[in-house]
Amino acid sequence: MPSTVLCTGKATYKKQNGTLQLTNSHITWTPDGKVAPSLKIPNMDHSSLLCSKVGAAQVKLKLVLYSFSEGHTFTFTNPAPVATAEREQFKNEITNYISRNRTARASGQLPTDAPATPATTNNFAAPPPRTPTIRPPGGTPRASSIASDKSGSGNDVADYQLRKRVLLNSPELATLHRELVMTGQITESEFWDGREHLLSAQAAMENQKKGKSGQLVDPRPQTVDGEIKIVITPQLVHDIFEEYPVVGKAYSENVPSKLTSEEFWKRYFESKLFHANRASIRSSATQHVVKADPIFDQYLVKDDDGLEPRKPVAGDVEMFVDLGATAEDHGETGNQGDTTMQAGRQKAALPLIRRFNEHSERLLKSALGDGPSAKRRRLNDSNSMDVSQIELDDLKDSQASEGIALDMKNSQRYFESRATSEGDTPVQVSVPQAFNELESCLGGWERSLTHFTIDKKAMEAGLASMTSNVKSRLEVKTKRKEIPENLMRQMSTCQTAANEFLRHYWHSIYPPPSQASLPLTETLKNQRAAKAAKMAGYLASTREKVEAIVKAAPYEKVDPRRVELAMRPVLDAVNKALAFQRNRIARGGTPNPQTPR
Amino acid sequence: MDRSSHLSVILDLCPTQWLLSAQPSNPHPLSFDTFLSHLLVFLNSHIAYKHENSLAIFGALPGKSLLFYSSEEAGDPSTAEVVQPDPNSYRFFKTVDQSLVRRISREFDILGQPDTEEPCALVGALTKAICYINRLLHPAQSLSSPEDSANLPDPRILILSVSPDASNSYIPIMNSIFSAQKLKITIDVCKTFGPDSVFLQQAAYLTGGSYIYLEHREALLQYLVMSFLPTPSIRKIITVPTEDKTDFRAACFCHKHVVDVGYVCSVCLSIFCQPVPVCSTCRTKFPMKTLQRLNMTRASSLTGTGASQPSASRPTNGTPAKQVYTGLAANLR
Ligand SMILES: [Zn+2]
Ligand SMILES: [Zn+2]
Repeated sequence: MPSTVLCTGKATYKKQNGTLQLTNSHITWTPDGKVAPSLKIPNMDHSSLLCSKVGAAQVKLKLVLYSFSEGHTFTFTNPAPVATAEREQFKNEITNYISRNRTARASGQLPTDAPATPATTNNFAAPPPRTPTIRPPGGTPRASSIASDKSGSGNDVADYQLRKRVLLNSPELATLHRELVMTGQITESEFWDGREHLLSAQAAMENQKKGKSGQLVDPRPQTVDGEIKIVITPQLVHDIFEEYPVVGKAYSENVPSKLTSEEFWKRYFESKLFHANRASIRSSATQHVVKADPIFDQYLVKDDDGLEPRKPVAGDVEMFVDLGATAEDHGETGNQGDTTMQAGRQKAALPLIRRFNEHSERLLKSALGDGPSAKRRRLNDSNSMDVSQIELDDLKDSQASEGIALDMKNSQRYFESRATSEGDTPVQVSVPQAFNELESCLGGWERSLTHFTIDKKAMEAGLASMTSNVKSRLEVKTKRKEIPENLMRQMSTCQTAANEFLRHYWHSIYPPPSQASLPLTETLKNQRAAKAAKMAGYLASTREKVEAIVKAAPYEKVDPRRVELAMRPVLDAVNKALAFQRNRIARGGTPNPQTPR
Repeated sequence: MDRSSHLSVILDLCPTQWLLSAQPSNPHPLSFDTFLSHLLVFLNSHIAYKHENSLAIFGALPGKSLLFYSSEEAGDPSTAEVVQPDPNSYRFFKTVDQSLVRRISREFDILGQPDTEEPCALVGALTKAICYINRLLHPAQSLSSPEDSANLPDPRILILSVSPDASNSYIPIMNSIFSAQKLKITIDVCKTFGPDSVFLQQAAYLTGGSYIYLEHREALLQYLVMSFLPTPSIRKIITVPTEDKTDFRAACFCHKHVVDVGYVCSVCLSIFCQPVPVCSTCRTKFPMKTLQRLNMTRASSLTGTGASQPSASRPTNGTPAKQVYTGLAANLR
């Protein structure tokens, strides 16, 4: 596709003079005297835009990319009026791309390498392209879409990217990977063998569709060099207009006839209108810094804190979401009224709550589209108190099995196994005598309490045993963090490496059920035997490694016996595997245990 | 830190066990009336410890459980026991002591001298104690202002147990433990007589309480005061004695052997020392393939090392669901 040049300008980039050019597919920057651009960015990578103030000494434009969040800064070099005009042109065009990119990303259509469609829309108000990609009602559950993705991604590059992201998200795994795979001890595919679930989880996570951000537009001042500022980006302006149409109205009526754009924003953020639009109720506290403003105050409306919301609720409220409906459950039946949820109890919060509601509704509309969605239609059609109304498709388990009913035939033995297993015969005592005895003990309680004494010897013995109990536990507690980090790391590295080798060793000896069904060819057998031998070789060095750490312990002022004790379970497991391997070899080419007999 | 606290005491009043406990053939005999004296001194200490401290006493009697005493009841003239004033004793002490003993003897009057003894209703008493605390923690709204909730009574339950574990109470006890955990109730246990109770060890362990086996039985009060008088919040500063280790090792159901590696039924969680085709507890049949695989791993490792213990097929993190590794948790406390 031939590219159309949308605008050009003279601009420096990294202190070098050159030409900045925007086409319908890329933005490029070519240094002076060169033909080929040294910077070429596809338009669908544009994430956001920052501009220097109008009238500032330098006319700058900073473009932030999805792939490069630090962004590129260009300074327009033509004389001020020209440079500003050039910059404005770039700003307008790029803002379009940014807004389009956001919509595309929000609806999950990540831009591919295909060239972008030519820029045709220039107005902000154009509705975001609604494509019929919304899940059909009651349609495919998420799992199936993942499955299809998986089968499609047979290519290695995607796999590699996926693995890389899994490793990035899990530092421990990355460490293990670095120590085992990068040193060539085990291969990449061996490493991922048995960790497929991590990859599929990552893939599933990445395939989740992101909707529009639910955040309310609420520009917050930042402190820059001791000055309190609100940074206005073209994207922010767009968002504010969308969220608060009244601001857009004010803008179109006053700029540039009465105010410049800059003045407009400066006064807006100091106006009552801005504070009325804030996403919190602390605006009352800042009331005194707010100035009266003849222009903006015209657009103020009374706080929406009346008994009824200013904007009437459209249509009937569904029973299942109507908080007012539960009020009927109280009163007559004697139940106590709901004290936690009283609509409008805090008057100051009402405008905010209503604004949140309006915001949510707008959000919902942007996700479901304006027309009656399948879900809404379903809700509206059935006016009956149908429980299906509150059923969520996503929560249904399509693969649920019946399960196996637990039918305990031998519950006595089951519970006995958990109780003290002392099967000693109970001492025979006379039951009536026992009852009699106990009751008689109650008679003289006052006398025995008056003459109450404790055997001194027993008391001291009890005290001594309890003190030693506390002391020993205290020692354990205080010593717990004694192992220095360096040694601790060596120990855990040794342990995780040994575990990994063990995993691979036993994996090759007893393949998991999924692989057990494979036809057992001679090659496969040999492969497995070779892998087992290789892993056994690695395992054999574990003892040496542990001994080295034990020897190093005194230098870190750690009792070597503690290290030994800590590493013993690993060594036990390693020794078990090694003994197993020795026997296999001694028996000479054992029949693979997988062979069905 | 030093808040008021609530203590619910559960008394195990199993007559035959108390008879055995008092037998002079014991190395440290403890009769019920001596026990009662120690207990009353302890209960009085709890009341004296802080004016706002509250107390409830529950009894686990043969075949029934009930509330013997509660601070709430004692404060209400319509329910309180009538106690003769005694110039020689502190009135609150006297009220607790006399109400408790009177109620116990009233119950034993009703029980009479039966020929057989029903099992003691420990579960009932425990459940009642938990419900009672739940009510304390969630007072009716009309009765309390919100500020009261900041002054929650740091609840705990102390079980003074003499009976051995009753196998059929395992599930209800576990359920009670979970409820207690949810309500942040600490369960303390003093095993006053008889063999260690596995159930109650778990109850104490899982609720962060302390389990004490009464060794020098004549010094009961010493144990009670040292281990159970400090409130849970104070125990963050004062370490109280408890059991050194709780035994989590599993024994197979078939031979009661303690096993390192066992085979667990995926339906009912019964443990076996070797793979079995059918679970003898719940009659679930296992797939032949799995069985073959498990048997093969066993056979090769047994012939290999000559070990008498069954061995893991894969003793690392890729553990198949059908195996259990025991004896690990014991070291972690
Ligand atoms: Zn067995
Ligand atoms: Zn079973």
